[in-house]
Amino acid sequence: MSESYAVLLVAVPILGSIVPLAGSLWHDRLGWPVAVGVSLAHLALAAGLAVEVFAAGTVVYELGGFEPPFGIVLVVDGISALVALLVGVVSAGVLAYARRAGPRGNSFYSLYLLLLAGLSGMTVTGDAFNLYVFLEITGLAAYALVATGDHGGAAVAALKYLIIGTVGASLYLLGVGYAFVATGTLNMADLAEKLAAVGYTSPLVLASFALVTVGFAVKVALFPLHTWQPDAYAEAPISVSVLISALVSTVAAYALARLVLSVYTVEFFAAVPTARTMLVGAAAISVVAGSVLAVSQTDIQRMLAYSSVSQFGLIVAAVGIANRAALVGAVVHLVGHAVMKGGLFATAGVVERTTGARSVDEYAGLAERAPLAAGCFAVLALAMVGVPPAVGFVGKWYIVVGAVEAQRWAVAAVLVVSTLLTLAYFARLVERMYFTEPAVDVGEPAGGVPTVPDGGRSVSTGMVAVVVAATVLAATLGFAASGIEALLEPTLAALGVI
Amino acid sequence: MAGGGPLTAVPPGVAVVVGAAVAAALSRRAAHALGVALTAGTLLWALVVPDGVFLSTNFLGFEAVLLRVDGFSRLMAIIFGLIGAAAVVYSYASDADGIQTAFALSYVGTSVGAVLAGDWLALLFFWELMAATSTLLIWYYGGKAIRAGFRYALLHGIGGSLVMAGIVWHYDAVGSFLFSAADGITAGVPAVLVAVGIGVNVGFVGLHAWLPDTSPRPHVAASVFLCVYTTKTGVYGMYRAFPEGHLWIAYMGGAMAVFGAGMALLQDDMRRLLSYHIQSQVGYMVAGVGIGTALATSGAFAHVFNHILYKSLLFMTVGVVIYRTGKERLKKVGGLYREMPLTAVTFGIAALSIAGFPGFNGFVSKGMVIGAAHKEHLDALWWLLMLGGVGTFLSFIKLGYHAFLHGKYDGPVADANRGQSVAMVAIAGLCVIYGVYPDALFGLLPGTKSSKYVALPAAGAKYTVFTVDHLVEGIGLAVLGVAGFAVLKKPLSNVSVVPDVDALYNRVAFYGTRGVVVGVTELYAAVDRAVVAAARTVAGAVRDPASAVTAVARPTDGDRSGTPASLRAGIGTTILVLVVVVALVLAALM
Repeated sequence: MSESYAVLLVAVPILGSIVPLAGSLWHDRLGWPVAVGVSLAHLALAAGLAVEVFAAGTVVYELGGFEPPFGIVLVVDGISALVALLVGVVSAGVLAYARRAGPRGNSFYSLYLLLLAGLSGMTVTGDAFNLYVFLEITGLAAYALVATGDHGGAAVAALKYLIIGTVGASLYLLGVGYAFVATGTLNMADLAEKLAAVGYTSPLVLASFALVTVGFAVKVALFPLHTWQPDAYAEAPISVSVLISALVSTVAAYALARLVLSVYTVEFFAAVPTARTMLVGAAAISVVAGSVLAVSQTDIQRMLAYSSVSQFGLIVAAVGIANRAALVGAVVHLVGHAVMKGGLFATAGVVERTTGARSVDEYAGLAERAPLAAGCFAVLALAMVGVPPAVGFVGKWYIVVGAVEAQRWAVAAVLVVSTLLTLAYFARLVERMYFTEPAVDVGEPAGGVPTVPDGGRSVSTGMVAVVVAATVLAATLGFAASGIEALLEPTLAALGVI
Repeated sequence: MAGGGPLTAVPPGVAVVVGAAVAAALSRRAAHALGVALTAGTLLWALVVPDGVFLSTNFLGFEAVLLRVDGFSRLMAIIFGLIGAAAVVYSYASDADGIQTAFALSYVGTSVGAVLAGDWLALLFFWELMAATSTLLIWYYGGKAIRAGFRYALLHGIGGSLVMAGIVWHYDAVGSFLFSAADGITAGVPAVLVAVGIGVNVGFVGLHAWLPDTSPRPHVAASVFLCVYTTKTGVYGMYRAFPEGHLWIAYMGGAMAVFGAGMALLQDDMRRLLSYHIQSQVGYMVAGVGIGTALATSGAFAHVFNHILYKSLLFMTVGVVIYRTGKERLKKVGGLYREMPLTAVTFGIAALSIAGFPGFNGFVSKGMVIGAAHKEHLDALWWLLMLGGVGTFLSFIKLGYHAFLHGKYDGPVADANRGQSVAMVAIAGLCVIYGVYPDALFGLLPGTKSSKYVALPAAGAKYTVFTVDHLVEGIGLAVLGVAGFAVLKKPLSNVSVVPDVDALYNRVAFYGTRGVVVGVTELYAAVDRAVVAAARTVAGAVRDPASAVTAVARPTDGDRSGTPASLRAGIGTTILVLVVVVALVLAALM
């Protein structure tokens, strides 16, 4: 029974995504309740799956009963169970937020459910080609969601996202093709064995690794392949920004880690140290470049977007280091970043609706105009900087410990410096919010607050609850880190991580 | 390993701190009621909780134990809880407001947390918090207490850092922060760092100046808390670091006993006099820990227990005098025996206890430490401890004589109010009970820990309290004290303010810091001019990236009216970059 949770995790939202569109024939307000029902079912499935995995170990489901190397399998281990749970929790939270914040209409909720299906599929699949399929489902849903913004910028951003994202996915497909030519299989576990048999230094294997990692670097948005991401985050409707900033790159980073650890394995790194050095090096560059770009932004949402470039650099660096502490850190930071960044976007949305502030300068004196939102923003920002005991601190701490254990001093130094850079752009905001008087009377701009879809300025209880819940989680999840470490122990051991 | 039932689900220190936060929001009456409940709860909890290690956890990859109950930590928790309850009652009666008592409770909570911690990391965590909360308690009173609080915080910050450095080094050698992983702190540099760091807390001679500096300044009820927790947690920490003792520490204890009593003799401010006696009495405890035999360690912890009783009672009685008269100095009061007999009698009991007169509790525990020094043939130490005893008698005869007997106080003075009386009489009663019936205390003394250590009343540590020798010793000290006071009364009353080492190191710190600041400022000014220029450029670029890029891209172009260069890459550029990246990666890997 519990194996079928894995397939239901994907099947339920896929089937559910048809309902709002089809239901438009009868009722145009069907989307939200359907999405809530499906999302809660999905969350329950993810929770059940996590319980099962942490109690009894990895869950494997063979689709259609075909034997693994030929049929498609879904494999859920400790890391994928956690990510699936994260997807469930965050997407359910976004629903609470989107009801008031929009966009409305049945098509939005169909796309939302399709995205949920794609993300869940990427999380649980054990097949490299199947991963491509879900990557495309996720991508297409995300492009369309960004395009739901009702102004020209959103369409342009979506087009940019579409073209660059598709090229990235195609590079991944090309990489999978090389691996298939080398081994004749697409099953991840089988690939791991046969790649070793072919020899890690074979040009086919090296080419496949290069194409796969570059393809995913686009999806994760590492510098300098990140250019789609700030536009998409800043132009999309705020609920979409929350959703994709918290989940899309997160699941892509998870998939990259999955491929590196389960397909190429740590032995590949041992045999080809250049590959590891390049991955870690690119990630480190991303950490610094992302932060510097974030400092130079004036628009809050673009700043948050560049901050993601930097934070995912941290996570990919940890994946490249690939020892126990670093991987625990990567998982903790993956989860923590999703909560913090999603929460920051959600707060930015609340601020924009209540005060109209979008830029760093407009945040001046925000603490008086919107005390709750300013407080949440400050806590989330400090958590992102890595102030103990928030979750941002714990994730970074484990990654730094991993870097030190692996004797990668340069990386450890970059990680520590990144904290300062993160402080640079968030401290500036906190200072504006709490210690600066508004430069002019920004309370009521001449033309009224810029219109938000559905015209409302009102903030619902659901939106505030999401913001507060994210803040509380960011401040307290860090205490669960040692529990997460214990839960991941069997998974990391099975992956051959020392 | 988190077993142990509901009693050990939450460390009591944490519970008290949380309760303190709640108390801060309550009315004065409710805050004090909650305070009594919390501290009395701690006392009851400590009496019934089973021995063992609880709440083992993994903090950032280090093993940590948040709660560890053995004989020593239990004894500390019992007395901390007991005196906490009495002090809260006293605070309520002495018009302390709810916020002050909330700060005091947080200080109590962190101290209880420290003595119940099971590893060095957790101990250090509560230790630093204890320094912070006590600083807040001092600051809360305002006025002169502010600057004293800064000096206090600075010194304890330095001490805490030394302890931290020591235990990190210890971790490097042992591989674990747990107490159970090693017998005390690693010898060598870590031991020195930890000894000096803890030395700040217990008031090693030379590091003690914070004691007389801070205790006299805050509210009289705050002083009752301050005289108890910091130094005694220090003694406990000293034992954890050196369970086998160390001769140098023992002699430092002897020096503290003499120095503290001697300085106390010269004081005129009543609470300042009492604070020097904290140093002196803690000296006996440090000496006991330093000697390290079964009898000495038992004596040290018995003295911790007894000392907390009579010292808090002393601060309470003197507090009542200050509370009723508003006078801090001995020269301003006198003849109060007729005005406030209850305060005078309880003060007398406390004074006889601290001086170690037979029949009072100080006699028992001080005798144990002195007896241990005698048995180990540490004659010089024995003499130091005896000399300290004489000094103690002398200075308490002085304090009692000038405050209560000598002269006559102008005008009527009310005695202690009901709440103060309750707290004082209860503690005074305990001083007498433990003095007359020492077995009650011996039953509480801790069990085995170090290889050399056996619990009283086991064979290795037999000590009979009331022998002829001991009685002669105790009464002899008293006689010497009275005789000495008769001789020294005149010259002592001419002594004015006596400088202590802080006069030196406040100056050294002040002028030293000023020298450093001036030097650094000049250097900084030079660097600053260079940096400001660079920073202006960077800040300009950050504020307006577009025109900065334009300036770099077209430095010679005078015409800026064209479209500014953009940092944002278009679709085409991105695909180009992507192709270049793929090519580079493939080229590097092949």
